[in-house]
Amino acid sequence: MEKKFGVYICNGCSIGESINIEKLIKSSARAAKIQPDAVRVHDILCSPAGIEMIKNDISQGMNTLILGACSPRVKFEEFDFPGALTERVNLREFVVWTQDPNTDAAQSTAEDYMKMGIIKAQKGELPEPNILPDLSKTIVVVGGGISGLTAALDAAEAGYEVVLIEKEPQLGGWAAKLYKEVPREFPYEKLIEPIVINKIKEVEAHPNIRVYKSSTIEKTDGQPGLFDVTIRTNGTSETIKAGVFIMTAGWQPYDASKLVHLGYGMPDVITNVQMEEIAKSGKITRPSDGKEAKKVAFIQCAGSRDPEHLPYCSSFCCATSLKQAKYVRELNSEAVAMIFYKDIRTPGQTEIFYKNMQNDPGVLLTKADVTKISDIGNGNMFVEAENTLLGEKIKVEADLVVLAVGIVPATRASQEYLDGLTEVTTKGDDAKNAYLESTPKPEFILNLGYRQGPEIPSLEGAYGFADSNFICFQYETRRTGIYAAGCVRQPMTMSEAASDAAGAALKAIQCVEHVSKGIAVHPRAWDATFPDPMMIRCTSCKRCTEECPFGAIDEDEKGTPFYRINRCRRCGTCMGACPERIVSFKDFSVDLVGSMIRGIEVSEDEFRIVVLACENDSYPALDSAAIKRIKINSSVRIIPVRCLGATNLVWVSDAFSKGIDGLILLGCKYGENYQCHFVKGSELANYRFSKVKETLDKLQLESDRCQLMQVAINEYDKLPQMINDFVERIEEIGPNPFKDL
Amino acid sequence: MPEQIVTQVISPDLKFVKEIIAAGGGDLKKCYQCSTCTVVCGMTPDESPFPRKEMLYAQWGMKDKLISNPDVWLCHQCSDCTAYCPRGAKPGEVLGAVRNMAIKNYSKPAGFASMVNEPKAAILLFAIPIALFLIFMMIQGHFTSGIPRGDGGIISFSKFMPPIPYVDFLFMPLAALVVLSFIFGIKDYWSDMSKHYGKPVGGDINKSITDTIIEILSHKRFEKCNVTKDRKISHLLVFYSFIGLAITTSIAVFYLYFLKWESPYPQTNIIKIIGNISGIALLIGITMMVSSRIKNQEKAGIGSYFDWLFIVIVYGVAATGMFAQIFRLLDIAVVAYPMYFAHLVFIFALFAYAPFSKMAHMIYRTTAMVFARHTGRDKLTT
Repeated sequence: MEKKFGVYICNGCSIGESINIEKLIKSSARAAKIQPDAVRVHDILCSPAGIEMIKNDISQGMNTLILGACSPRVKFEEFDFPGALTERVNLREFVVWTQDPNTDAAQSTAEDYMKMGIIKAQKGELPEPNILPDLSKTIVVVGGGISGLTAALDAAEAGYEVVLIEKEPQLGGWAAKLYKEVPREFPYEKLIEPIVINKIKEVEAHPNIRVYKSSTIEKTDGQPGLFDVTIRTNGTSETIKAGVFIMTAGWQPYDASKLVHLGYGMPDVITNVQMEEIAKSGKITRPSDGKEAKKVAFIQCAGSRDPEHLPYCSSFCCATSLKQAKYVRELNSEAVAMIFYKDIRTPGQTEIFYKNMQNDPGVLLTKADVTKISDIGNGNMFVEAENTLLGEKIKVEADLVVLAVGIVPATRASQEYLDGLTEVTTKGDDAKNAYLESTPKPEFILNLGYRQGPEIPSLEGAYGFADSNFICFQYETRRTGIYAAGCVRQPMTMSEAASDAAGAALKAIQCVEHVSKGIAVHPRAWDATFPDPMMIRCTSCKRCTEECPFGAIDEDEKGTPFYRINRCRRCGTCMGACPERIVSFKDFSVDLVGSMIRGIEVSEDEFRIVVLACENDSYPALDSAAIKRIKINSSVRIIPVRCLGATNLVWVSDAFSKGIDGLILLGCKYGENYQCHFVKGSELANYRFSKVKETLDKLQLESDRCQLMQVAINEYDKLPQMINDFVERIEEIGPNPFKDL
Repeated sequence: MPEQIVTQVISPDLKFVKEIIAAGGGDLKKCYQCSTCTVVCGMTPDESPFPRKEMLYAQWGMKDKLISNPDVWLCHQCSDCTAYCPRGAKPGEVLGAVRNMAIKNYSKPAGFASMVNEPKAAILLFAIPIALFLIFMMIQGHFTSGIPRGDGGIISFSKFMPPIPYVDFLFMPLAALVVLSFIFGIKDYWSDMSKHYGKPVGGDINKSITDTIIEILSHKRFEKCNVTKDRKISHLLVFYSFIGLAITTSIAVFYLYFLKWESPYPQTNIIKIIGNISGIALLIGITMMVSSRIKNQEKAGIGSYFDWLFIVIVYGVAATGMFAQIFRLLDIAVVAYPMYFAHLVFIFALFAYAPFSKMAHMIYRTTAMVFARHTGRDKLTT
């Protein structure tokens, strides 16, 4: 495609009043190698007339557009020209709103940005999506509890083929083991029949759903759209093609045998799960002698919110104990239910159910730290507690004690095993072998064929709950095309699990649809580009395979890396990692960004600072600062990058050899509990640049000239100051000695 | 107060919880122990403040802790707690119900108390004196030979129902029984309070009693109320009019038994002046109470049956007394006699049921206030 350049400058939003447009036209025309009178200026470029003007040019053969207007983060619907390579230059936010108007500094900033935009358009190409053949849109749901059933039904109703895999011989999970359920609608008075029963029937009757009961996953290979899933059922295996996973493996109740201090092991101390079974018989009886229980004590947070056991709140137990108190009261009006709690937590409308239960004279509640369950000797027990609202230590007689135990995610055992393995691996082969021999291997759920491990990962300190990008996209995990929902992800109630499952089903649908169009799944959900390595120059150093956060790159038998492109999220970490600089995207490459840096005008009497800003957080933060009209030093030039992980070391030499005085890498925070969409880009960049600093020092170039800053999107108000402080520091150091060369 | 951690054995009493609910504490279960009530209460002592803990005792049916609790009587039900309660648990009403339960528990002979708590028994409460006085009328032959008139043919209530052998012979032994009942009640109550809450700081019991009485006479505690500030005046009016009426009755006793001077007395006589001033004050006071209860019902609650029964009786005593006098003076016999008859019925209800009705609050509250003062519990007053 021969490029025909069109340069457009918007006069609106004070751009025309703050910059000398005549001069900008001249410099831009020079850079784009077009006639100055071919540069189009419009008073409001985003207006219908402005858009019409551009479309008219496109119909005349214009195919490469450079729009000097506002931030690319706004007006993207207006400036959407399919088929034309469109480069937006952020004159409004980065010049007009952050520089003093009509100054030489503002003028040169605007001219630099226009020039960089033109270079990007010159070097970039229109993307062509990479659509793999034989794609499947089948959605595999792992686990047939309330979350799995809901996800399966929702996806099937939306018209997708669903495969539901359940390891038990029947569907329903814990939800099917209940006597009754907590009410879900006003007036929250009557317990409801378990709703899961109907869901099971619907799932089993649905033409789009295939159910595998008593089944486990033996192996999962491939990538989104092209997964090969081997399902093992009663000794026989079957491999199916699938497009995406919804992971709803659920939970296990906390092992009550660890709660000896709360009396577990005594005959009439039971768990909330056992209580459901007893209630199903229609009478609350004691396991020891079968007598009807009339003084039932509920111990909340049994093992939960306890650093020795489960440090977190399991979310459902308070409402469940209130519900079970209702069993006690409804099945015998003379019986009392006593609830000893740390705090009653019934979020949302369930508070009304709590209030209703509280109003029952036979439901007694007190905040308490239960210290002991002791045997009275008359067949009953004393619940001993302190820190009660009564202000003294108390003993209350009970004939049945129910421990409200919490949620342990189904993924916990495998996560602990894998964590242990990672730890011993650092200690050498002997330690690793000893570990493998001595530690029983848990049953993995997904058995993924990923170099990063057979199971969905867990966040650090997340107690084995499945991975979640909990701030922005809660169902998103670090394994593209595998979405976690329900209690495997986070403790929650059944109604929360059902909405969680619906959300995950939507994400799964998004995944198979994007894959079928050859565009990134998320977070760059519009992106049709992909990493395209020039393999003849690959040295098989495996740095890309090691560093890819999503396991998208693997090595073949000969050790040559290859992409499973549907796992890729287009962050460009491979591009940053590659020492041979062979990885490029159509609109983003080492050469492209390097050329932009080299395109910046450098003069001897002025400082120039380059900021490589992460597009996800830092760039929007800079836009937000601009909206607040917070000034940024005029020596700063901002270049967006997909992720700091994509920054290639050669850009440093590009910058400093050109005479740039300082370089800032602006990226996400890293460390525990990543919430960066690309997981570890800025951490990798930091690692790479720690090496660069040594080189800089050797070159007599102060390593302070290059700095990585971590910012969150909500720190936009501090960001300009951070940058300005850096500029001051560079001014102290003095100009880049390579400037004169 | 020194930290003293004792393990307490709790046996929840579901029946007791239901009783408090039935006695006017209908919202007690709504309490979630935020303690706003205790913070806004102007009456509560700094140490072991109420009513937060009392609400929990009530929820858990801890009868022993509640019945003998002196704090529930330090509460004057100004209802600040009820007005500010975020859950509408109405702590003021609950403490009122608890006091009712305490009266029920300590009043002698046991068992009679349910008569004043059970709306269904209301007819019986009044049927007893009505029957009694009808019998008295029958014995005197009022139904056959008519009602005799006094000197000069005026209406004379002492001729209608002579103090001897009827009115006084009924009320004097009744009063003695009531006093006896109170003595036993106080005795039990004091010993229970000492058992559960007694930490005497020593000092002179007589001084505690005198100080308490001075405090009651001044009605200073009522000033600490916010929501129902006007209760100080209404209660003061009712309280002093009762004292006035007691003085009136004493003078009447003196006139009758020492001067052998039977009623009616001239309107200008000291007995009539004190009596009438007290009667009017009582009417005004009780009317203010009723109107304040209606005005504040949203914030403070409307009150229990137990409360309203007592209000009706006091109203009845005051109104029928006043009307009986007016119609006697107007010589309208057809209204005057029935009014006086009704007056006697209400007086009977007031006295005979005193150990069980809200009337008993004056005895138990005083006792509790003395106890609180004596044990140094009630820091507010020292």
